[in-house]
Amino acid sequence: MLNLIKSKVFLIILLTIVLLVTIALTANSNSKLNWIGNILSVPLSPVQKLFSAAGQKIDEAVSFFKDIEAIKTENEELRKRVSELERENRELEAFREKNEELRKALNLKDRFSDYTVIGSNVIAKDAGNWFDIFRIDVGTRDGIKADMPVVTNSRGLVGRILTADVTSSKVISIIDEDSQVAGWISKSGGHVIVRGDFTLKDEGLCRMDYIAGDIDVEVGDIIETSGLGGIYPKGIVIGEVKEIRMINSEFNRYAIIEPAVDFKGLEEVYVLK
Amino acid sequence: MKIKLPVYTVCIIVIILLQSTVLDYIKIYNVKPNLIIVFTVSVALLNGNIEGAIVGFFAGLAQDIATGKLIGFYALIGLYLGLAVGSINKRLYRDNIFVVIFFTFISTIVYESAVYFLWSFRSIINGQINLLYPLKAVILPEAVYNSAISVFVYIFVIKLTRTFEETERT
Repeated sequence: MLNLIKSKVFLIILLTIVLLVTIALTANSNSKLNWIGNILSVPLSPVQKLFSAAGQKIDEAVSFFKDIEAIKTENEELRKRVSELERENRELEAFREKNEELRKALNLKDRFSDYTVIGSNVIAKDAGNWFDIFRIDVGTRDGIKADMPVVTNSRGLVGRILTADVTSSKVISIIDEDSQVAGWISKSGGHVIVRGDFTLKDEGLCRMDYIAGDIDVEVGDIIETSGLGGIYPKGIVIGEVKEIRMINSEFNRYAIIEPAVDFKGLEEVYVLK
Repeated sequence: MKIKLPVYTVCIIVIILLQSTVLDYIKIYNVKPNLIIVFTVSVALLNGNIEGAIVGFFAGLAQDIATGKLIGFYALIGLYLGLAVGSINKRLYRDNIFVVIFFTFISTIVYESAVYFLWSFRSIINGQINLLYPLKAVILPEAVYNSAISVFVYIFVIKLTRTFEETERT
């Protein structure tokens, strides 16, 4: 009996040590050990795809009944907005032509032309309540590797590949606590860090730190990736400044960023390879 | 033992699938229940610490693989959750549903606090830790949600256990 208890305790201690080692090793996203993930992720990703689609259908059905009143009023507002936008569109068309001319004159390259864009579907959301990791249906066999940037079809920044399995990959979004993106205030020109914050994650927001004292920041400023750090290419839109908060003094401040991406309704994303 | 292995495997896979897909669409106050905790607690209460630890370990490992940041993080916490809950049970009346609700509530608070503290280790060292917000926004709502669901999961695990016992006898 004593031997049995001893062996159980021994087993648990051994398992704990093994787990601590795997935790330490998988902290590096290029670690070979991440291959363990394939055991489950390869057979499961088609099923996850199915389940996700079912979930979206449920969601759509529920919101259909809930929203019918709201849709009526929204429709009226949208009609007004359409006519406004039509007018604005005509004006912008003129600007676009002008812009293209100037671009040609300056010989500017398209900022995404160096990348191949790979489309993918979101097949699984984070299983817990703390983080914002999700799974997409492309993997190493499609040429996906860790740290590739992930964007939406309107080229708003979603995040980066955390680890890639054979048929699917994990993506860490920019609102996750462990995400840090080197940002650039496009109007006044200044380097900042945009990072996820646990208290803002549920609202789909993130925060902007390290704003140098001499930089002008205003609500509504567009924040782009700066290209520093080597993961994200320069010029992907992260979002816009929603609020500026002071800590003690005017020069010690951070800002709340509203990302260009709606993380709740995310279904299709694109990986830049 | 022969029948337990495939049944638990299927249960864990279904739980992970639900957890990472459909449950995301039925969040209440931005929080979804954690079936992994509920299932581990139910199994540990009914079948003891070794089975609880094994189920907690593999359910955690499945979560690590599905959407975890590190492989082994949730497996480690799940292992100790099953072990701890399964070790306490002997002195309590197991067929009382309130015991299950109580244990699920307490387990969720301990489990999710552990996840938060282990993960926010760096922020704790830097002194910028927020204690009230995680409790209010995630831990307590999830504990209530899990407790409500534990009733159904427990009844399901009771039925599983009885089937195991019957097949062992025949």
